[in-house]
Amino acid sequence: MTDTAKELGDLHWLMAILQNIDVGLVVLDRQYKIQLWNGFMENHSGISPQNAKDQCIFELFDEVPREWLMQKIEPVFELKTRAFTIWEQRPYIFRFKNSRPITGRAAIMYQNCSIIPLESVDRVANHICMIIYDVTDIAIHQEDARLAQQVVAELSEFDHLTDLHSRSHWQPLFEREFQRCTRTQRPSSLVIFNIDQFNDINERYGHHAGDQVLKVVADCLRQTMRQTDSACRYSSEYFAVLLVESDQDTALFFAERVRKRLSSLTIPVTEADLKITLSCGIATINERLQHPYEWEAEAEQAVKLAHDQGGNRCMIRPPNER
Amino acid sequence: MITERVSLTEDQRDCYQEIVNVAMGQAADRLARLLDAYVVLPIPQVNLIEANDLHMAIQGAEDNHAISSVCQGFIGSGIAGEALLLFNDTSFEDLATLMNYSGPLNRYGELELLMDVSSVLIGACIQGIGDQLGIHFNQGHPVVLGQHCQVADIVKSGNHQWNKTLAIEIHYTLEHVNIDCNLLLLFTEDSVAKLNNKIDYLLD
Repeated sequence: MTDTAKELGDLHWLMAILQNIDVGLVVLDRQYKIQLWNGFMENHSGISPQNAKDQCIFELFDEVPREWLMQKIEPVFELKTRAFTIWEQRPYIFRFKNSRPITGRAAIMYQNCSIIPLESVDRVANHICMIIYDVTDIAIHQEDARLAQQVVAELSEFDHLTDLHSRSHWQPLFEREFQRCTRTQRPSSLVIFNIDQFNDINERYGHHAGDQVLKVVADCLRQTMRQTDSACRYSSEYFAVLLVESDQDTALFFAERVRKRLSSLTIPVTEADLKITLSCGIATINERLQHPYEWEAEAEQAVKLAHDQGGNRCMIRPPNER
Repeated sequence: MITERVSLTEDQRDCYQEIVNVAMGQAADRLARLLDAYVVLPIPQVNLIEANDLHMAIQGAEDNHAISSVCQGFIGSGIAGEALLLFNDTSFEDLATLMNYSGPLNRYGELELLMDVSSVLIGACIQGIGDQLGIHFNQGHPVVLGQHCQVADIVKSGNHQWNKTLAIEIHYTLEHVNIDCNLLLLFTEDSVAKLNNKIDYLLD
């Protein structure tokens, strides 16, 4: 008698655990009628165990997808193996509210579900148990992480001041173009621009004026280049433009257009109207180049030459042989 | 943490192979009934593998850029491991026909199929092995690699707690359809000793 009483007592607190555990427990029979409905399910659905008992789950909940769920559950009955669903497949099975309705950032509760077979004494699985996990926080965090990665990728792709590509984004494009040109034997050109006396502008009129100048140069490049070309802020007052499928003459024509266009502009800053000029260095790909950095080095040499000769001019590397 | 060096005798290897064979035999029958297709019974490979080998295997699975692998942790009687299902050269259309899936075969459709197939294959195998060893394995929730879990991240993450471990590889093919996948069961280094004890008990 005392043993039975103890067993009943044990059963009582086991039931209390099932009732209070913070996961949903639903037992279904072969006809998908609810046999057990724990406190979690009751609280979130508003349907008491008495009202849920012996009801077909699909009739009680419109949102529970019949075909889909049966496809998961039937093998559990048949094979007596477990089945799993994750929120990435379907955000929820039961449309429950977020368990933090005020501060939670999703309206609904994301759910994972395990479906386990329940064998009777004759070793036949006549019942299955669905275990519903609330994974809202995980789902939200994963979405946050994805968005954050996207933002980081965008930030590193563009130079924030000029909105041109950043050097780190441009460099792989440039290197790929080098590989492509060496393979196809087609010419492409690299033009590097340097703003003459840029440091003087910064010192005399302040960095804000310098920033204005950089923006104007970037705009000018954007307006002059073709869509297939790619420009980047190369380093502080240097810009690089990769001219795809362009020989030396085309590149020179382009660089001259940019140079003339810019020298005709007046840039109003707080204290004065500025006139600026550019030094341009052009390097067209040629068979002597073994590595992309040699190509860059030629353009850099050319721009230095243009600068050393007083600026406001375009120089070509290697010198035109004609 | 110093763990014993993992090793495997020939007898133990044969025994593992036999256990997996039996488990697969049981599972194949049920699979055939569920899928209504003849499952070619594979000969399982039992090997001790290095961490690098695993990374190569996972990386290979991601090369075609489609989501094509699922992993699931399991644990029972202190023996822990992970099941990895890698689809090599599988047509999702064939898989859909096999699983009676009628929805569109977009990324979500493929995810559905992957989850359903992995539930069945992983579940059947782990359960079969557990039954013979008298271990009730508890399975965690499956994770689809390459979806929220980049292979490159796994490979470079600091989770290299093992150098060598026991890998049971089962190569599934189905007759007349283009489905070819590898199921890898990997046990943690410290589980191998416990598992070997169980095996030795069976060998005696």
